[in-house]
Amino acid sequence: MKKIVKIFFGISALFFSLSFVSYANALDIVFAEDRPDLRTLDPRITQSRHEEMLIVNIFDQLIAADSEGNHYPGLAKSWNVSSDGLEYTFNLRNDVTFHDGTKFNAAAVKATFDSIVDPETGSQGAVDILGPYKETVVVDDYTAKVVFERRYGSALTAFTETELSIVSPTALSSLGNDGFGMAPVGTGPFMFKNWEANKKVELVRNPDYNWAPEYMDGSGPSQVANLTYRLIKDTSTRVAALEAGEIDIAELVPPLDMNRFDSSGDLATVAGTVSGLPYAAFLNTTVGVFQDINVRKAFFHSLDRVKMTSDLFFGYAEAAFGPISSSTPSYWKGNEDYYGYNPDGAAALLEEAGWKMGSDGIREKNGEKLTVFFPCLLEPDTCVAIQGYANKVGFDVNVEVVMKARQDELIFANGYDMLVIRWVSLDPGVLIIPFHSRNIPEPGKFKFNWARYANPQLDQLLEDAESAETQETKDDLYMQIQKHIMDQAIFLAIHDQVQTVAYNPDLEGVRFANGNWQLRMYDVRKK
Amino acid sequence: MNFFLKKLLIVIPTLYIAWTVVFVTLNIIPGDPVNLMLGGRPASDEVRENVRKNLGLDKPVLERYGSFLVNATKGDLGKSYLTRQPVTKMIKENMMPTIELSIGGLIFGVFFGVLFGIFAGTKPNSIRDTISMIIALCGISLPSFWIGMMLIYIFGTTLGWVPIVGDGFVSLILPSISVGLFFAGGMARLTRSSLVDVLNQDYIRTARSKGISKYNIILKHSLRNAMIPPVTLLGIQFGLLITGAVITEEVFARPGLGQLLLQAILAKDIPLVQALVVYMTAVYIFLNLVVDFTYGIIDPRIRLERKN
Repeated sequence: MKKIVKIFFGISALFFSLSFVSYANALDIVFAEDRPDLRTLDPRITQSRHEEMLIVNIFDQLIAADSEGNHYPGLAKSWNVSSDGLEYTFNLRNDVTFHDGTKFNAAAVKATFDSIVDPETGSQGAVDILGPYKETVVVDDYTAKVVFERRYGSALTAFTETELSIVSPTALSSLGNDGFGMAPVGTGPFMFKNWEANKKVELVRNPDYNWAPEYMDGSGPSQVANLTYRLIKDTSTRVAALEAGEIDIAELVPPLDMNRFDSSGDLATVAGTVSGLPYAAFLNTTVGVFQDINVRKAFFHSLDRVKMTSDLFFGYAEAAFGPISSSTPSYWKGNEDYYGYNPDGAAALLEEAGWKMGSDGIREKNGEKLTVFFPCLLEPDTCVAIQGYANKVGFDVNVEVVMKARQDELIFANGYDMLVIRWVSLDPGVLIIPFHSRNIPEPGKFKFNWARYANPQLDQLLEDAESAETQETKDDLYMQIQKHIMDQAIFLAIHDQVQTVAYNPDLEGVRFANGNWQLRMYDVRKK
Repeated sequence: MNFFLKKLLIVIPTLYIAWTVVFVTLNIIPGDPVNLMLGGRPASDEVRENVRKNLGLDKPVLERYGSFLVNATKGDLGKSYLTRQPVTKMIKENMMPTIELSIGGLIFGVFFGVLFGIFAGTKPNSIRDTISMIIALCGISLPSFWIGMMLIYIFGTTLGWVPIVGDGFVSLILPSISVGLFFAGGMARLTRSSLVDVLNQDYIRTARSKGISKYNIILKHSLRNAMIPPVTLLGIQFGLLITGAVITEEVFARPGLGQLLLQAILAKDIPLVQALVVYMTAVYIFLNLVVDFTYGIIDPRIRLERKN
């Protein structure tokens, strides 16, 4: 027995001595990304904001945009729009090379955009963002003219989107569509080096980079020599690795931990309000209790969104009120005057609609209970908070936490009373997707008008806004659209989406990309 | 030899059935791979239809089954819907981390399992037996995500002895303990009970009366005879590990087959799930053969019985 005990201690000692081997690497940056299942790093194909977290640092766009959405010269030094709004002529930089040595020029712009609309490419995001694209004309080596089929009001924003990054035509033809996504070649501040599936992606600094947009602090190559994206899905592991110093910057840090870091000062934090649709619920206008607008309004009034959001997010997210988040262009302040917390008003509306309080605290009408079926795909804790508030005025909310496959089936079958959503988008033009009547889901056809609300007047407003000629008309049309949606009480905004980031306090220059989700690592440096 | 040949012949129909069951099941359960892939993204109808066409999902189910089958017989298990990479390549990429973790868990589990088993089994119903078995019970019943988080908290965050998500051999220590504890618990309990049985046998009493030392009796005479049930368990548990430890992989942010399978199922990535199931079935069949073979080494009487 003594021998066995000796062996045990021997092995333990061996384990512990090995564990002291150094593993720190000082000047390089490790970023914790929460999705392990990255599929492609091809901006033309991706539809994932998580993949774009990396893509945004490997590629550049024709027009650069800061986190506020302001436009700056990018790969194009300047641009002008024809008076009919159909032609966008870009005057390109002539000093840019791709990571593989290919010269950046008008032919590369044409190759990129033409391949996006080629069905063979299988684009999942870029092709929609490119909108009514017709063709790119190579005017000369450094002048490219992009032509649209019809006026496209969101075009300038579109050219700042990560999905419309310019890719190396040489790499594209040598690697093919599938290969390019696994070894992307762009013009950005970082070059792709290595990808270990489900574990990490390594980028290295582009030593030739000399075309940083003017809103950046730095110029020339980035100070970050090696940029590693460590894929860590488990939130507590991500936070533990950050606290242990193995990770320099982590995304999607729980608000509770953000709060802790801010009080202790051990780690720096920054939170970005994501532009696009806030976390919100569609109320189904075609079946169940929400067919009655008064019941919808009562449901809105029953929620204390401000308190709920501060309880759940500790001040790192704000309550949301409108169909688009406050950081999205053309946001209408008037949204905030609608449907404040008013349980008495909610009760009065329900009484008026004929729903009388039952002995069990649930309202009834003609022997039917005021029941709401709420399949919850995102943020179960928020769903349950909604349930609790609505219950106080007499709703019986049945929350079922679902996977996407189950939610899709319920959407096809029109088998829900409410569903939650959230989207990242740079332009209010996104509203046409969830609110135009042509986007009401049908069996087998996945679409996004989950309120199933059809109104010709709203359809017209959405179509007009898409091809608005001036910014004033565009803002005015989107104001009317937001007002219409609020008046009808079909879309219940709860809170703004936030990207919560914590990082090593010795670092500075951590910067959100446009949309406030991805991070641009170019400016990151030691204090 | 005849015995192994027979077993090998069963492999092909078994794999075919497993493969077909996966195809049928994934086509019956709700969810459209295209919608699952595009996630919550506001993709247009054109995008959806184009993706469907590119993946061949616009073709009738029977035709898809047929072409899968034809390609599979040629050794081509197809491309993943999600990544458009060959599924065999994806499995290969995730296989090494899984094998590393399995071997790490195995070494930890067998060492501590047998150690505690002997410790308890040589003196049944004593205090040390009770304590050992309580520890073993904890190993079996504590959920691996909790053990993983505790290990990270104690050894990674508080003491800072080992990296949490680092690279190389050191980063294998905590995950190996995490999966190995479950292993060790089962091994300890089975080794103990088997050892108690063997130690009550007449030939052990004879050996004792001949004055053979206590350690020789345990290690040479008893343990070998007591190892048949633990080895069976070892085969099953190693099979579980080598097909992926989902939770441990997730907690320690390790790549591996468990994560890959989970991602594939959630996205209804049919070619990838099929290939993984074929792999896992093959591993189980292989491990069963190894266990059968090991019986013969541990106890030569089993070899004789087969010949008869």
